[in-house]
Amino acid sequence: MRIVDQERDDVLLRQAAKGDEEAFTFLYRRHQAALYRFALRMTGNVWAAEEIVQDAFMTLMRDPKKYDATRGTLGGFLYGVTRNRVMKHLERLPREVPLEEKNEDGTGTGVVLQDSATPATLAEKRERVDRVRAAVQELPTEFREAVVLCELEEMSYEEAAQAVGCPIGTIRSRLHRGRALLMAHLEILRDGPRRMTVSK
Amino acid sequence: MKCEEFEMLGLDGGRDASVSETERAAAADHANSCARCAALLASWQEARAELRALAEESAAAQTPARVEMRLRQEFRTRHSTFKGRRAAVAAAWALAAAAVLIGAVSWLNWRHSQQVARVKQSNSTVTSDNVPSKSDSAAPDAGTAGFNVDDDSVILVADNESSRFTLLPGVQPSDIDDAEILRVRMQRSALGAFGLPVNEDLANEWIQVDLLVGDDGSPQAVRLLQQQ
Repeated sequence: MRIVDQERDDVLLRQAAKGDEEAFTFLYRRHQAALYRFALRMTGNVWAAEEIVQDAFMTLMRDPKKYDATRGTLGGFLYGVTRNRVMKHLERLPREVPLEEKNEDGTGTGVVLQDSATPATLAEKRERVDRVRAAVQELPTEFREAVVLCELEEMSYEEAAQAVGCPIGTIRSRLHRGRALLMAHLEILRDGPRRMTVSK
Repeated sequence: MKCEEFEMLGLDGGRDASVSETERAAAADHANSCARCAALLASWQEARAELRALAEESAAAQTPARVEMRLRQEFRTRHSTFKGRRAAVAAAWALAAAAVLIGAVSWLNWRHSQQVARVKQSNSTVTSDNVPSKSDSAAPDAGTAGFNVDDDSVILVADNESSRFTLLPGVQPSDIDDAEILRVRMQRSALGAFGLPVNEDLANEWIQVDLLVGDDGSPQAVRLLQQQ
């Protein structure tokens, strides 16, 4: 059976529940990247992110009836499952320090920026990105989640509030504190606090 | 707008749908007039640019292919197991249903054969004993007395209990050795035909009696049944 790209998630899920592997694979491919990015950005660990995403889809496979289409989208449901797994992981390993992770082919975990700059510039960029990643990982979980959703996933405040299941004011507040901590960390990482320049 | 408010609303008011245009304008005015908040805004914009770089770096991150492979393998295993289990359950139910069906059919057959055997047995007993038919039983004597053998009331008593029978006049006890019992319905007055005394007041009453019928079909003895 040929699956149409625009086939709705709930239709695909029903087919998957009946044993249609292609439908399940289609669902997986549609949602895995966003879930993986979120898990990776939250945990900073590719192995953990991989496990978390796998767990989320295993949950869907084992008990597809857990998803109630009247309560929201399948993407939202999967995000909720992934978020729970992330929180459990972070509770279990509150201060897990990510190792230098490699892909299966031995390259870095991230995508190499397509840039025509010199190797020195690229190295500097890479270092900066690593510093920011470390600063994000330093944030307490709830502030990190707000920063990941609003700054990295580029969700609106409303979408983030819906995803987390809290009022929009809570997201604003967490983001405010997360930003303050992040800026403080970045200032520290730049070899001590920098004097703020006043631009008139 | 105060500095605290600016920190909450001014840094990213553009994306916060709950911030009104007036508040955004007030935040912009505040940033222009407050050096601290302007520095904060500049610092945040710098940090944000770095966050953008981080976001871009991991924007195309994908779950490794092995995860999809593992999930598909698990999916196949799960569904083939499920199908197998379903087939086994269906087979078990089918076997159970077949067993019940066979049992029911066997029981019906057995019951039917029992009934047939019983009917055959009773038929053979009736024919072999030369039981007088309805017309035959209306013998000259009995006919006048309203002697009536009712088909429904003909009951062949299996026992050979010959007690409480009154021998009809002229019958020797040895004559009834091979006699069969025949239950008949007759008027009480018909007892007179057998040489028995009859209460004239109840002469027309219908009664049931057992007759001991000899080999020649003639009654040898009579027994009155108690009325219920």
